[in-house]
Amino acid sequence: MGSRCPPRPAAPLRPVPVPVLVPVLAALAAGAAEARATSEGQLPGAAAMGTGTPPSPSGTAFEETRLHVFTLDYPHVQIPFEITLWILLASLAKIGFHLYHKLPSIVPESCLLILVGLLLGGIIFGAEEKSPPVMNSDVFFLYLLPPIVLDAGYFMPTRLFFENFGTIFWYAVVGTLWNAIGIGISLYGICQISAFGLTDITLLQNLLFGSLISAVDPVAVLAVFENIHVNEQLYILVFGESLLNDAITVVLYNLFKSFCQMRTIKVIDIFAGIANFFIVGIGGVLIGILLGFVAAFTTRFTHKIRVIEPLFVFLYSYLSYITAEMFHLSGIMAITACAMTMNKYVEENVSQKSYTTIKYFMKMLSSVSETLIFIFMGVSTVGKNHEWNWAFVSFTLLFCLIWRALGVFVLTQIINVFRTIPLTFKDQFIIAYGGLRGAICFSLVFLLPPAVFPRKKLFITAVIVVIFFTVFIQGITIRPLVEFLDVKRSNKKQPAVSEEIYNRFFDHVKTGIEDVCGHWGHNFWRDKFKKFDNKYLRRLLIRENQPKSSIVSLYKKLEIKHAIEMAESGMISKVPSSGSLSEYHEGKIKPLSPTEMENMREILTKNLYQIRHRTMSYNRHSLAADANEKQAKEILIRRRHSLRESLRKTNSLSRERPAAANTKRFLSLPKNTKLPEKLRVRNKTSSRVGDSSDSELDAATTVLNLRPRAGKILRDQRLRQQRPLPEFRVEWKNEVDGSQDGRGEQQEPSTLPQPSIGFRQPLLTRPRFGTLSREDLTADHGPARPMPPPRLVRQASQGERQRNKPENQPY
Amino acid sequence: MGSAHSVPAEMRELADRTGFTSEQIEHLHRRFKQLSQDQLTIRKENFDSIPDLEFNPIRGKIVHAFFDKRNLRQESDGLVDEINFEDFLTIMSYFRPIEMNMDEEQLDRFRKEKLKFLFHMYDSDHDGKITLQEYRNVVEELLSGNPHLEKESARSIADGAMMEAASICVGQMGPDQVYEGITFEDFLKMWQGIDIETKMHVRFLNMETIAHCY
Repeated sequence: MGSRCPPRPAAPLRPVPVPVLVPVLAALAAGAAEARATSEGQLPGAAAMGTGTPPSPSGTAFEETRLHVFTLDYPHVQIPFEITLWILLASLAKIGFHLYHKLPSIVPESCLLILVGLLLGGIIFGAEEKSPPVMNSDVFFLYLLPPIVLDAGYFMPTRLFFENFGTIFWYAVVGTLWNAIGIGISLYGICQISAFGLTDITLLQNLLFGSLISAVDPVAVLAVFENIHVNEQLYILVFGESLLNDAITVVLYNLFKSFCQMRTIKVIDIFAGIANFFIVGIGGVLIGILLGFVAAFTTRFTHKIRVIEPLFVFLYSYLSYITAEMFHLSGIMAITACAMTMNKYVEENVSQKSYTTIKYFMKMLSSVSETLIFIFMGVSTVGKNHEWNWAFVSFTLLFCLIWRALGVFVLTQIINVFRTIPLTFKDQFIIAYGGLRGAICFSLVFLLPPAVFPRKKLFITAVIVVIFFTVFIQGITIRPLVEFLDVKRSNKKQPAVSEEIYNRFFDHVKTGIEDVCGHWGHNFWRDKFKKFDNKYLRRLLIRENQPKSSIVSLYKKLEIKHAIEMAESGMISKVPSSGSLSEYHEGKIKPLSPTEMENMREILTKNLYQIRHRTMSYNRHSLAADANEKQAKEILIRRRHSLRESLRKTNSLSRERPAAANTKRFLSLPKNTKLPEKLRVRNKTSSRVGDSSDSELDAATTVLNLRPRAGKILRDQRLRQQRPLPEFRVEWKNEVDGSQDGRGEQQEPSTLPQPSIGFRQPLLTRPRFGTLSREDLTADHGPARPMPPPRLVRQASQGERQRNKPENQPY
Repeated sequence: MGSAHSVPAEMRELADRTGFTSEQIEHLHRRFKQLSQDQLTIRKENFDSIPDLEFNPIRGKIVHAFFDKRNLRQESDGLVDEINFEDFLTIMSYFRPIEMNMDEEQLDRFRKEKLKFLFHMYDSDHDGKITLQEYRNVVEELLSGNPHLEKESARSIADGAMMEAASICVGQMGPDQVYEGITFEDFLKMWQGIDIETKMHVRFLNMETIAHCY
């Protein structure tokens, strides 16, 4: 950034601030001229030497050029260099804010980024005494906005979105019209007061201004709302509205702009405008859906070339955006529709790794764009393109707030009649308050042609004030307000398997009841679509010969099968491995581990009748935690397979199995010398020690996570058998085939817990004798020690095990 | 009561008891007649004529719920063979959305009623407990749509869920303690985090504009 030229985000496509561009263009022109000169100069040189010998690369034709040891050719790299620096700066700023962990919870990141931008703008302004570069609107609309919208669309909680679609649509379309017209007309009223010196602003110009100022910005809204965790419904309303109303705003803006440029406006123009309005929106959506299907269809064939798989997602969605823009349709709608359409199918076609890549890359792009947008907004604010007028600016702000609040209130009264769950007053307040303006208004106002709008500078100032007010004041106070009003938050708790089951169950009950009533509710349409989807779309778009479930869930299935197999073989031999039993016992009443939970949820989400994805909350900056885990698991599959094979081999020798299993486990230890460390890490992350994985390879986590469950079932059965109470027996009868078997092995389980408390050595040595557990049965059974509560047992054994580990290694 | 719905007084009484508006009752009555083929009662076979219900994996449970005496607010236990319109309305009223003017106590009762209905769907042997086997059946039915999954997975999922239920409801258990099944109290506990009163409703029931669907 050391050059005279101010840094620019990208190629100077449109000279907005002409004085700023001059040095850039001059430098470019000079570079180009130079290059031309050399190439032209070389050509005659080569021609002159054209006696058959090729020209030497050092350019011998020119005597005066010497080989330079060190040259500086900044203009050559200027543009990419500066882009890189800007992105780097933005990312570094982001890191900086998160160093102090409390800061993001007080001040939204967007505010801080704008502040950094303001600072930079001030520096540039001070150093060069002219307006720093303005965010070029082409750059914004063609490069910075698409990633954000793509990200939002791709990770959109689809189901929630469609459940509230009516309300969102209502707010976005009617609300934006209401705001635009309301603000425009009331500002026109203010302009009529001659004391303010605004009488030269016409009604149409006011309406245009109203339309651009009423755009609620998805970037700003997301930046604020994803941190405050309001309930999902409220979130999707604000977010969905901000996403959809861009399209409306852009249409209105273009409409009024062309009206402003016309001499006379006929009635037909107004109707054309209304028609245009629908074409822009619907056309955008259609393009998006079409390309979304094409994208899904393409990924059907990429299984041979996994590497470029993620690229298709980005290419097709960007294509939809620019195609829509090409036809002057709504690119935002197109890319949202495209992302939402392809998401489901792509997810099943691509490999797990590619999917992770897509997610990360998308998050990264959108995060960077967002950061850049806010910084540029700060930078562009500083400059000489302002005109301050107290009346106009403060009335703009006032009307923005009033019309927004009024609009939400009135529209909610109407929509509440149709909503099953009415929006409360608090909800309405938060929706109204969450109407943050942002970069969209900002770039739209810079796009105004100065010839038609002599007071453009005034508009710019007013827009900036509104943006800063909403982003800073509203953005910072919304969190305390949400807390103060006690708005229902989203409950972030441990995902539970039973909850998942209940929710599914629920869906089906609801659909069923609707069917019985013969009415077409939301569920009806969802069902219809699912059927159509299953019948045609999935068949067309998703690779065949692939099981419905993804690799991971398929693998889980195998694992579970294997676990049950093991449990059953244990049952048949009637002598459960004492080592494994003790493991199982520990895990008996502990809540399921996060990984286990994840596995089950995975199976549930992928395989329930007519796959219905559950809504998940959307977060811009972080991915769901499972991404890492899944990837790791996939990598480790092979290792686990081999491990499992060896385990199975040992299983077949039923008598020696415990010994084999145990020796195996300890033999495997020295290979993995870093184990204690790893264990500690795992403890930290999962807040619970892997029940049985203490001495396993880390590769075996899933195998062994599932095993204890099977074992638990087994053990529970045993426990139940040995109890005389009839009801238990009835309850468990159907899965226990021989209840008389219980007699022989009854006492084992109740006594076996003891060794697990920390007596690893006897467990280890015992099986070498070959005769299993008879002697220790009696030995352990006699003393009838007081049993600590199982939770304590676990904790005690955890601690002990960790301490024991290094000692155990020699075995 | 079946034939006398045209009498406004009776209608009002029904409306009071079930909480539906008279318009909704009319719609439902039309549907009732359609289902029962103009008879006064509906039997189980009548539900076979609903084509969309066919693919519902828990179809049996849903139909069953209509004939469950516990859901029909009858004292006794067991199943009835046929239900009249009032019973039909009673079942439907479990799916009413919440109303704005409900106070805390009403909300609580409302919630409990809905949960009770769900609980009865799980508890197929009417013993007041969802046993592991019952839970497994439910999960198996839910998963029955996917031919690639085997019963074992469904079972282990049910087992996991049961285990979870035990840990939520009982907390610490002794090593030989046995969790017999989910009682209604436990059921309530498990649903605490999910705001069922806003979820368990069928949308059209408060819509006046539904007329065009016919």
